[in-house]
Amino acid sequence: MAYLELHDLEVSFDGFKAVNGLSMAVERGELRCLLGANGAGKSTTMDLICGRTQPTGGRIVLDGADITHEPEYVRARRGVGRKFQVPSVFKELTVRENLEVARSHRPTPWKTMRLFPSARLDERTQKVIEIVGLEDVLGTKAAYLSHGQTQWLELAMLLVQNSALILMDEPTAGMTIQETRKTSEIFNRLRGQHTVIVVEHDMGFVREIAETITVMHQGKLLSEGSIAHVESDPKVMEAYLGSGGISHA
Amino acid sequence: MDIVLGQLFTGLSIGSILLLVALGLAIIYGSMGVINLAHGEFVMLGAYSTWLLQSAFGLPFLACLVLVFFMVAFAGWVVERGVVRFLYYRPLDTILATWGIGIILQQAVRLSAGAELRYVQTPEALAGSIDLLGIAIPSYRLFILAVTAGLLLLTWFLVQHTEFGMKLRAVTQNREMASCYGINSSRVFSLTFAFGSGLAGLAGALVAPIKSVAPDMGTNFVVDAFMVVVVGGVGSLLGTVASSGILGGSTAGLAFLLNDTLAKALVFLAVVVLIRFRPRGLFVDRVRR
Amino acid sequence: MSRIKSPSHAWPPANSSAPPAAARPSLPQRASYVQILVYLAFCLLILAVPLVIDDAFLLNKYARYLALGLAAAALSLSWGYSGILNLGQGVSFGLGAYAIAMHLKLKTSPVHTGAAGLPDFMVWNNVQTLPWFWEPFHSTLFAILAGMLLPVIVASLLGWFMFRARIVGVYVAIITLAMLVVTNLLFIDQQRYTGGFNGLTDLAWLEIGGVEFDPYSPTFYYLTAGCLSVCLLLGLALTRSKAGLILRAIRNDVDRVRFFGYDVAAYQILAFAVSAGMAGVAGMLYAMVLEFASPTFMGVPLSLSMVIWAAVGGRGSLLGATIGAILVNFMQGSLSETFLDTWQLILGALFILVVLFLPNGLASLIDMAGERLGRAPPRARTEEPAAAAPRAMGTFNTKQRG
Repeated sequence: MAYLELHDLEVSFDGFKAVNGLSMAVERGELRCLLGANGAGKSTTMDLICGRTQPTGGRIVLDGADITHEPEYVRARRGVGRKFQVPSVFKELTVRENLEVARSHRPTPWKTMRLFPSARLDERTQKVIEIVGLEDVLGTKAAYLSHGQTQWLELAMLLVQNSALILMDEPTAGMTIQETRKTSEIFNRLRGQHTVIVVEHDMGFVREIAETITVMHQGKLLSEGSIAHVESDPKVMEAYLGSGGISHA
Repeated sequence: MDIVLGQLFTGLSIGSILLLVALGLAIIYGSMGVINLAHGEFVMLGAYSTWLLQSAFGLPFLACLVLVFFMVAFAGWVVERGVVRFLYYRPLDTILATWGIGIILQQAVRLSAGAELRYVQTPEALAGSIDLLGIAIPSYRLFILAVTAGLLLLTWFLVQHTEFGMKLRAVTQNREMASCYGINSSRVFSLTFAFGSGLAGLAGALVAPIKSVAPDMGTNFVVDAFMVVVVGGVGSLLGTVASSGILGGSTAGLAFLLNDTLAKALVFLAVVVLIRFRPRGLFVDRVRR
Repeated sequence: MSRIKSPSHAWPPANSSAPPAAARPSLPQRASYVQILVYLAFCLLILAVPLVIDDAFLLNKYARYLALGLAAAALSLSWGYSGILNLGQGVSFGLGAYAIAMHLKLKTSPVHTGAAGLPDFMVWNNVQTLPWFWEPFHSTLFAILAGMLLPVIVASLLGWFMFRARIVGVYVAIITLAMLVVTNLLFIDQQRYTGGFNGLTDLAWLEIGGVEFDPYSPTFYYLTAGCLSVCLLLGLALTRSKAGLILRAIRNDVDRVRFFGYDVAAYQILAFAVSAGMAGVAGMLYAMVLEFASPTFMGVPLSLSMVIWAAVGGRGSLLGATIGAILVNFMQGSLSETFLDTWQLILGALFILVVLFLPNGLASLIDMAGERLGRAPPRARTEEPAAAAPRAMGTFNTKQRG
């Protein structure tokens, strides 16, 4: 049994089926790329997995447990972490406080009421901070960070959260080439330890990190396999012929 | 049979006053998202203006109505320009600021007109009652019902069939976009606020003969009106009409079975439960979120 | 079709020579010790007042201000810290007041109406025997516990009702306002059990372990100041705990918090209930200091006044809100009767100015001064999350879809 399984997943907004009978399976420790044109249903699929959107049909099974109707926070406790397309960090909190929120291994009010965050960062957080290079802005409010720094902060929050399954929506959007390279380095390190699903448009980045690719089209699974397989799949060619192949999707 | 008819009319009568007071609020909240806690004070201003015009200048009641609309609308315009327009992006703060405005208006009236109760005379032509299906109905209540219906039609026409209404709907949908198409959105908002306030003033003038006029009379009105607007659904004129009917009817019915106080408490409790399950109101179109 | 790579890279990489985590407290950290000191100083200050003032009437007046200060502090806990604008703080305040007043009324009853022990208003309303729910209020302990726990229970239920359904912002304000009106009407309506419009008047003094709390005495003042101090310090502890941090995160972006595994509703209920408990204590003190409890305690004007005090002092700071309440009431109390109406006018204007130009109240002035001196950290500007906006302007809630 795969770590994450989607069975005939379906969601409709007023009759418009954003995801329409999607089935896929992701193994534990896998790094999966989700590709497709705008409106293919990639972000919605992520929303369905993390619980932001409720499916109108189908099932989601995580590690053998049916999580289809569980609220977001329960899924998060099961180990589903999410990075959004638009960087969303807590703007009114400092970088340090943001990370403290992300360090959520004891999330109930009973526990947190008796927990007093100290100036001392634990070893893991300290290392994450060094890797993403935010050491100097720990006391800065997130609202004052640059766009790039905000991206790194959200990534750092995900790493600190240490989810078993990480969902990333366009992690390299707006990043420079160097930053993208650093991100792919981090991704390659995550491989094996964490299960990662990435929505990404940057084919260079996808080539660097992906082993298996799932291509979506109009809310359905169109093709799945290695880059070479997907790129030579006639169905993909047909669906994306107008836009000049998948690399421009 | 008489009792049922009587109750029906009482419900209709309460409902029409609710609608009258809520109409202005529905326009302001529905289109601008401003929770105007000073709305009750605009009602109060309307009542006092009527009293002033009637007792000091001896104007006939109907003439008062027209004048009062413009007087209170002007007050509303001043309030929008002076305070509310700074708070469009802080909806919760409009609650606070407009409460402050309410205090000022209340105190200003208390200081200038005194704290004692004032009375407004019902025009003689409307003082009697009409026999309808065997029950005596006060003509003035019927008059309120008719005026409410008229104002409702006027508002509906204004919003749906005039250029101003079209602009207002555009600004409500998307303020930035509307501005890009050359609509002066701040002018649209201040005129809307003035119109809503004018309606409140008119409501005050109309209820003045049947309720006692006092500086703090607005507080009750504003809470009632809010419940009507929320139950009806934000931005739905028809919903506002229906919900004032429902709230008015159920208040009258429960008051007949229990008493006025308990009836109001129960109706509010029902409203709370309703907001919990349908925060967007009973009669609003399902909007994709 | 997919192969699993062996977890060869432990992540983050084990690094034995990692530098020790930041050991020295940073600047903001030091400023937060200052916060504790400021709170302690305030508590000592209010506790020291009877040492310099021995005018019984003044002490009674000050005790009243402190009780109202506590109500405002409670409000800032739910509103300022957690973004729950509770316009019905009077429900908790009133429940606390009535709980203690029932006890103190029972103590005077034998004196007024003979050994039967029925409160006077019940006799006037032809009530023959003491209602069952009045019985336990013979006990001082029960009354005090009820004054705290009843508001907590009611708030938890209402909180559960609202927050589980993810009701936010304006709708919370409307629901709490409606509940306030309902409670007020019920207390007025049930005249036989609550004294109706008049409420519970002619109360005895509280007596605990042989100590009598005459509202016109230093003893009573100490009780009030002590309660306020304890509540403030407990509130401070809550806001400085990780739970407090989560509450601020919730106020900032309620949806994002869920994806870190926090049960948002549980936190909102926590803040709402703790705030209600504090308001209950404030209500108890207020009823004792005035020696009556009336439905006006649950009136819309008083609850909204509490909001005003908290806003003037600083909604985002427990101490700020407390000082705001004390300051406004102090000014109000020191004016002559004739000027009182004009004062209300000024208060309304002051309030509008604060909302427009100083959203964090007077407390933000201190922060600004601190920033200028380069010591205190910048405090978060209280901006409402867009999610709290009524959906009338239906533009910015469209979800991202791929």
